[in-house]
Amino acid sequence: MKIISELHKGTDLVLSAEGVNRSFDGFKAINDLNFYLAEGELRTVIGPNGAGKSTFMDLITGRTRPDGGTITFHEDDGHDIDLTKLREYEVNRLGIARKFQTPSVFNNHTVYENILLSLNRPRGVMSALFYKPTKKDLEEIDVVLELIRLTDRKHDLAGFLSHGQKQWLEIGMLLAQKPRILLVDEPAAGMSDEETERTGELLLSLRGKHSIIVVEHDMEFIRQIATKVTVLHQGHVLKEGSFDEVSSDPTVKKVYLGRQ
Amino acid sequence: MTNKLEKSADIGVFIALIAFTIVFPCLNAFTAEGSAMHVSGFQLSVWGKYMCYAVLALSLNMLWGYTGLLCLGQCLFFALGGYAFGMYLILSIGESGDMASLPTFLNWDDLPAIWGPFFSPVFAVGAVLLVPGIVAFIFGFLAFRSRIKGVYFSILTQALTYAGFLLFNSNETPFGGTNGFTNFKVLFGADVNTAAIDQGLFIASGVLLIGVYALLTWLLATKFGKVQRAIRDSENRVRFSGFSTTHYKVFIFVLSAMVAGAAGALYVPQAGIINPGEMLPARGLDIVVWVAVGGRSSKFGPVIGAILVSLLKSYTTQVFPEYWLIILGGIFVFVVIFMPDGVVGLIKKVIALMKGDPEEIDENIEEETA
Amino acid sequence: MQKLHQVTLTILFLFSMLSFSSADTADKEARTLLSRLILGEKDNQESALDALDGNGSKIIETFYKVGRVGDVYKCANDDGSFTVYYKDGEFYYNLLDGNQVTEPDNLEKARLGRSAKKKLSKLADFVYIYSPIDQERIDAVHKFGGSQKPEFIELIRRNIDKQPNENLKQAFQESLEISLLKNGTHEEKLNAISYLSDMGSSLSVDFIKAVKLDSEAVLNDEAAEEEVKAEASALTKASDEALKSIESAEQKKELVQSVFFGVNRGSVLLLVSFGLAITFGLMGVINMAHGEFIAIGGYTTYVIQGWFASAYGVDSAAYEWYFVVAVPAAFMVSAFFGVIMERGVIQFLYTRPLESLLATWGISMVLQQLIRLYFGAANVAVASPTWLEGNVNVGGYTMAYNRLIVVPVAIIVLLVTALLMKKTNWGLHIRATMQNRLMASSLGIRSSRVNMMTFAFGSGLAGLAGAFLSQFDNVGPMMGQTYIVDSFMVVVVGGVGNLIGAALSSLGIGVIGQLLEFFYGSVMGKVGILFGIILFLQVKPGGLFTSKSRSLED
Repeated sequence: MKIISELHKGTDLVLSAEGVNRSFDGFKAINDLNFYLAEGELRTVIGPNGAGKSTFMDLITGRTRPDGGTITFHEDDGHDIDLTKLREYEVNRLGIARKFQTPSVFNNHTVYENILLSLNRPRGVMSALFYKPTKKDLEEIDVVLELIRLTDRKHDLAGFLSHGQKQWLEIGMLLAQKPRILLVDEPAAGMSDEETERTGELLLSLRGKHSIIVVEHDMEFIRQIATKVTVLHQGHVLKEGSFDEVSSDPTVKKVYLGRQ
Repeated sequence: MTNKLEKSADIGVFIALIAFTIVFPCLNAFTAEGSAMHVSGFQLSVWGKYMCYAVLALSLNMLWGYTGLLCLGQCLFFALGGYAFGMYLILSIGESGDMASLPTFLNWDDLPAIWGPFFSPVFAVGAVLLVPGIVAFIFGFLAFRSRIKGVYFSILTQALTYAGFLLFNSNETPFGGTNGFTNFKVLFGADVNTAAIDQGLFIASGVLLIGVYALLTWLLATKFGKVQRAIRDSENRVRFSGFSTTHYKVFIFVLSAMVAGAAGALYVPQAGIINPGEMLPARGLDIVVWVAVGGRSSKFGPVIGAILVSLLKSYTTQVFPEYWLIILGGIFVFVVIFMPDGVVGLIKKVIALMKGDPEEIDENIEEETA
Repeated sequence: MQKLHQVTLTILFLFSMLSFSSADTADKEARTLLSRLILGEKDNQESALDALDGNGSKIIETFYKVGRVGDVYKCANDDGSFTVYYKDGEFYYNLLDGNQVTEPDNLEKARLGRSAKKKLSKLADFVYIYSPIDQERIDAVHKFGGSQKPEFIELIRRNIDKQPNENLKQAFQESLEISLLKNGTHEEKLNAISYLSDMGSSLSVDFIKAVKLDSEAVLNDEAAEEEVKAEASALTKASDEALKSIESAEQKKELVQSVFFGVNRGSVLLLVSFGLAITFGLMGVINMAHGEFIAIGGYTTYVIQGWFASAYGVDSAAYEWYFVVAVPAAFMVSAFFGVIMERGVIQFLYTRPLESLLATWGISMVLQQLIRLYFGAANVAVASPTWLEGNVNVGGYTMAYNRLIVVPVAIIVLLVTALLMKKTNWGLHIRATMQNRLMASSLGIRSSRVNMMTFAFGSGLAGLAGAFLSQFDNVGPMMGQTYIVDSFMVVVVGGVGNLIGAALSSLGIGVIGQLLEFFYGSVMGKVGILFGIILFLQVKPGGLFTSKSRSLED
């Protein structure tokens, strides 16, 4: 573990997972996984079905507990926090936000309320009871709405949005949380080509401000956004590198790209 | 637009409730018996009880309609509140020296320890809220912490109220067994069989109903209320937005249990009896029926449902006592399948149709079901 | 396990048939002898009375009873012979074959001599000691022993070795020793105490206490002689020890019995909850009317029993078979109601589990009231066929057959269901539909048909459970309600959608529940198990067997 950490000396890490294992009913979903994410990096994770992408997301966000290994979040001030002991909301409050595969927004709330609920304000019961949005809060909401191009739908119920718009709203909800790490699961699923491209632009524009992990299937989309790609196979990192490196790698081709 | 409409509807509801709470007892007090306007003491306590039911229905809807937690054990909290206040009423009989009216299970000279503090009206009123609250806290904490939800939550709450029934129904526990408490004589030092007490209890029930309705209105407007409904629609998203949904659910569960307890406490002196039958799983489902019939997607629906079903029950049990359960069951099946938003939902739809406003019609977006 | 049960059951069954036939011969013989007693000469009477001694037929008791009030008659036949009739209640019976007859003409009162009457009275008293039914014999001899009258000692002692099995022999010996506690010599008393203590006879506790009190009284008596006092002190000591050892044996026995009952209760739970495990676990439908389907099964049994009773008569051999018809009938009737409910209501609610809970609750109210309207609010009486009556008594644990039979039945139901699920196309279709309704139907599985069949099967199992419950529990409109909460607990603890889980959890809840009731009383036991379940779900929120799903959304 120390040796691996040595490799990353000098880089500013925000997340590191080392020797992580997780199995379901004997099936090894994650197998001795090592993964490092640098501050401000945009990383794309690909892999065939069952490669463990979603499980890996679950492990980071506290939805599932690993059987072994460590997942550490490196705070700004140098503190290291073990994520495997925390519950989802605690992980989230550290600044790790997650978007699900299927858009998950509050259908019976307006777009405005969706963003309002996502702002990183105190989220305890008592503060929620006596919360009044400040001018700053309202401004922040408007900024996010502008970014995800939903300003004109501010007071519509989220349930009335199109599929693509719901994906965007969810990304907006993540941004409202001002996270350090964004975990984005198949953001382009179900989007038109134009929407996909705009999503790619959005993600690229966020690079540097946030550290981002994108899980995707759509190779065009990956080509558009990819700076560094991690290929997962059978719960293990098969290859890491630039899009061209990875896509030309024979093993990767065999297990994944070859099937396309 | 809808917001304004809702606000004016709210104001209408408040005015109606306040008027009812004032006028009904006045008709009892200031009109001559036999006059067309007169409201008998019996009717007064019947409607007082209905208002307690309405509060109970509201308490369930806080959980079911707005948080998506279908609690089948709401009757337990109602009964616990009722028992807590009933114990005080029983002790008042003994204090007034009327030993003959004390229930036989209670040995006055050697009271069970748990009865002691209930001499104090302050303690009793506190217990009315705290006992259901504490039970709800313990159960809710355990259940929500281990992420028990949906039908599992429903089934476990049903088991909980059944356990309560067994405990209170037993002669080993000092709560009067199957008979429970009845024949109350004294309330806060006054004879219960007076018109003034009837009126007082009615007004108290009205005030409770108005208060709870106001509480709910306020709650839904806060961020808490928004989170609550967000939990109903997508609990996962709420969790991944940094909220501890467990805390929110425990809070609303406890609050709703306390409201139910208060309703129970006011119900008992008006009904004149409390027994373990109130904790039977079937009673818990009755409350669900009220809310479903009235409409769980609206704030006022449960109030209408509780009163409508109770009126229907008192009518049919007199006219066709044998068919009451069949009628109720039939209505319920009909409502579940054809009127998912209950009477209020139906009225809303009719109004929308008359206005020719198609968007209002399918306003209710399909909820993501588990 | 299952085979073993089947074998025992068959043996039990055959044995009861066997004892029928031997009881029949004894009955015929007794009737002939009694007839000879009335019609015969004095010598003949003597020999008849002697021959009757040791015959355990009830007719002797009946005959003595009616004879005492002068309701025995003889009637001359055309050929000069006589037939004996007796009148029991309002009806006349032919003594020889026991058939009821219309009042014959020319009845002549038959009289018996004083000594014959006296002898007959003794015989009537002892009839039960010779009863063909073991339990009656045991009860009778316990009564004689417990009376501690010296005149019975000889009777009991004489019959010990004649008993056909150890169980009976032990009961006779026990009764003898109890009688000796009062009537025996000092040595005999001590022996009796040690015997009773060794066998852990709970029956003898009061009698040993009496011995202790008596001897303590002697010890306190100043005037008593030294020798008597020494004997008394020995008795006190022995009885003290005996009481202690009996008590501890008793507790052990009760504990073992609790486990035994618990297994049985678990089987009952499995039987009543299995249908629910299928409809809830496999189909995701919360059927609150499940309890009413159980009740429908119970009432079907009741109706079929009524048909058999009116068609063949309660005493006929055919009536004994009513239950064999009732079990499949109960299954079919409940399954039929299940189909109606599935087609009429549930099929619209497959995607809305909470709504299906509510709608089925409405149906449950309707069904309950329909039952009340049709059959009345009171419980109806369902009698077990003779071959399900009676108890097994193994090492002091008594268990009624009609309860015991649930154990093998539950196992059979479990195996049959497992086979259906694993080996048939239908089972394959169910599992496919469960996992992915859409995919299954696009593969050509008619999911609506599969759903209907599955629901019918689950409901039918509830009816089957009702049929067996009717044998030892009340059949009434509220019958199902008593089981519904427990059944849901079984399914939740077992892990939804897992039939093996349901089996293990019913067994666990049955045994643990029984033990809790043993230690803390019935109510606290029941409450305890409910809280136990809530705590259990803290550790394993998905139940015993969770299918660990990796799907993202809740």
